[in-house]
Amino acid sequence: MSEPESGERRRFELDDRGFNEVPKPYRRYYRNWDGRGDVLGPNEALCPVCKIVVRSSRELRPGDRLYCMACMTWLTVVEGESGRLEARVVY
Amino acid sequence: MADFLSAYSVQQWLESAPQGYLKETEFGHAPGEREPDLLLSDKVLNEQAIRTTVQLVVGERCALAASSGLINAAPDDGSKRFLATQTLDEARHVEIFTQRLYELGVSQAELENVLEAHANPNLVKFAEVLLEKVDKKDFVAGVVGQNIVLEGMAFNVFEMLKAANDELNPKFAHTLSGTIADERRHVGFGENRIGSLIRENPERKPDVERLQKEMSYYMLATFADTFRDRSVHEEMARLRGASEGGSAQWQGVNLNELGPEQMEAILADTVLKEFKLRLERIGIEYQTPARP
Repeated sequence: MSEPESGERRRFELDDRGFNEVPKPYRRYYRNWDGRGDVLGPNEALCPVCKIVVRSSRELRPGDRLYCMACMTWLTVVEGESGRLEARVVY
Repeated sequence: MADFLSAYSVQQWLESAPQGYLKETEFGHAPGEREPDLLLSDKVLNEQAIRTTVQLVVGERCALAASSGLINAAPDDGSKRFLATQTLDEARHVEIFTQRLYELGVSQAELENVLEAHANPNLVKFAEVLLEKVDKKDFVAGVVGQNIVLEGMAFNVFEMLKAANDELNPKFAHTLSGTIADERRHVGFGENRIGSLIRENPERKPDVERLQKEMSYYMLATFADTFRDRSVHEEMARLRGASEGGSAQWQGVNLNELGPEQMEAILADTVLKEFKLRLERIGIEYQTPARP
């Protein structure tokens, strides 16, 4: 992870976490969710449709669009009621 | 064509499934993996494993008939191609769970009789209702029934079954793992396809709600029967004893420490809760199914 300039988004080096349900070039963008105790990083969002963690190479902000290739779902990042970032499905 | 399918292709399916998580598997698991000896030698445990697997075969045969039947009912090319890959997924599921029955000692000659003897009547009734819709080429009813009701609920149950078998029966857990990966695409298709339909045609909402109400009862009844059956838990307890304990973590709880009633409560808190959330996301209010 690189330190950001003020207001800039942090950037993340994505490693392969062994998620093999999508073609090889895209595997580093996803990881399995370990259940309720799993803490998401600032560059990660949980796909509400198939419960896979979608990872970005940069810190997520509300309005960002993500694609869950495991279930073919487009997502948008929003600030949830708790103040934490959540992914909502875009139909 | 629905926008969500624009990034989907048969090529992507090939690279994800046959050339990805299914590469070098045999009937869904690593070559050489076997059922635990106790499951083959103990008559009671063997019977329970057969009964559980029969429900999987019956459910997957229904999904195979529905997904193949829906190809010609689909209104766009993207959905047709997706359903073609789903058809192959479902055929594979029928084959791997049937193969498990053979490995549990069921002969090919006995297969149909064993399926008939152990199939849950609620699951059989669900299949009849769903396939009647498919026969009428009712695409929306077919997708709601198969990809939202059947697979939306089965997805959570498969995950729970896998967690319960991770340590006790790695062969079966690995078989389930590939099935769960397939199910992610199937539930994604159902939710996105029906979600788009409701968004573009809000007047279809009452129709979809009626279909959900009509078809949910038999699936919920099937799961309730399965988890109410104490002998399933006795089977798991015996296996756990044989494998010197272990932890089966799922949704933050250790399944090994739960009794049947607690397991049923966890299931209601997950399967039904997740199902209601799935419906809520696509703009559908959950309708408590009436007993037919």
